[in-house]
Amino acid sequence: MAVQGGDLDDLELHRRLAAGDRGAFDDLYRRYAGPAYGLAFRLTGQQVLAQDVVHDAFLALWRAPEAYDPARGPFRSFFLALVHHRAVDTVRREDRLRKRSERASNLEPLRGEDVADDVVEETFLSSRRQEVRDALRTLPPEQRQVLEMAYFQGKTQVSIAEELGIPLGTVKTRTLAAMRKLRRELYRED
Amino acid sequence: MEHEAIEELLAGYVLRSLSGEDAREADRLLSEHVPGCARCRDALAGYRDVAADLALEPAPIAAPDVLLPRLHRELEVPAPRRRPAVLFAAAASVVAVLGLGGLAVTQGMQASDARRQAALAQQFVEFSQQPDTRQVPVGPVTEYGRPGIEELWLYGTGVPEPGPDMVWRVWLVSGSTYTFCADFRPVDGRVILACPADSARIDKVLVDEVPAGSAHTEPVDETWSSAA
Repeated sequence: MAVQGGDLDDLELHRRLAAGDRGAFDDLYRRYAGPAYGLAFRLTGQQVLAQDVVHDAFLALWRAPEAYDPARGPFRSFFLALVHHRAVDTVRREDRLRKRSERASNLEPLRGEDVADDVVEETFLSSRRQEVRDALRTLPPEQRQVLEMAYFQGKTQVSIAEELGIPLGTVKTRTLAAMRKLRRELYRED
Repeated sequence: MEHEAIEELLAGYVLRSLSGEDAREADRLLSEHVPGCARCRDALAGYRDVAADLALEPAPIAAPDVLLPRLHRELEVPAPRRRPAVLFAAAASVVAVLGLGGLAVTQGMQASDARRQAALAQQFVEFSQQPDTRQVPVGPVTEYGRPGIEELWLYGTGVPEPGPDMVWRVWLVSGSTYTFCADFRPVDGRVILACPADSARIDKVLVDEVPAGSAHTEPVDETWSSAA
């Protein structure tokens, strides 16, 4: 993964946070609370649950900063994966949230820039977001559907197959095809 | 297994969408095949990058104003220790002790046992793969914990048998408080067990050897410890 200026800033903030610097914690919060909350809300569909997910993720970061290893990639990847995993845990634990999650998920064509007015976002994050959205638009609808259900609704491939009435193998094939295409689009690989 | 099938599992793995046998097979591949296969390592890294980028797709939403002050209050307070009474009550609801070696349906084992064990093993695999999971050696076993999560697992292979009519007893230690977690005997040298405890809120895990069925008094010995 390419290292960007924002990633280098994150590294420095994380180094300071690991040393107990509360200011670094606040800076990372300001940088990632919006994307983290947006992601958590997308999965859980409930403000209270999304808040708990983000809260737990930031608290875990403060209590165990060594869980992030810079050798394994950018901080944003680590932290947002942490948020995603906790949100998926929440969704699966709270089975009753399924319908709300589906309502919150956006299977319509992706929106344009819809950042809340009071979220001041780092340029490198918003720029990458646009690239991701552009890449998603290149996916055939059936591939994008299984990807959305897996990643943004926290569903297993088995449950996706059941819900769509298609073989599990087809879900796997579409998922792999989608991931390969996104990789090519986002990292310009052949 | 063909590489195409392996990559299907790796793609599902990074999206956290595998379950059942697929999840177990992915875990096996990640420990046995991927480390020595350049093609699979490259694929896994690439799909992880993509999954990380997907996290950016949702529009950011301003977090509630109360969240940062709530966090600030908790940053100032050391991770609180739970009261012993609560600890002990929680420990009474230990969720699982089993040997992974018994995962297959073997003679004399009920199918429901195998399903239950497989489900618990799957829970452990999913837990251990979280990015914030921390591992701490406890003798021949390893403690897996996630800060802020009331769940702690011990997993090990090559675990020696305790003496005849003895069991290994697991304690969670917080200051001078010892909380019983579980008794176990390994199956084919393997053990996996879970305790309802936040690893960030205990000082260490302690294992001692005691007579099977003995009262849960405080440990008198320390065979293995996470602090050793």
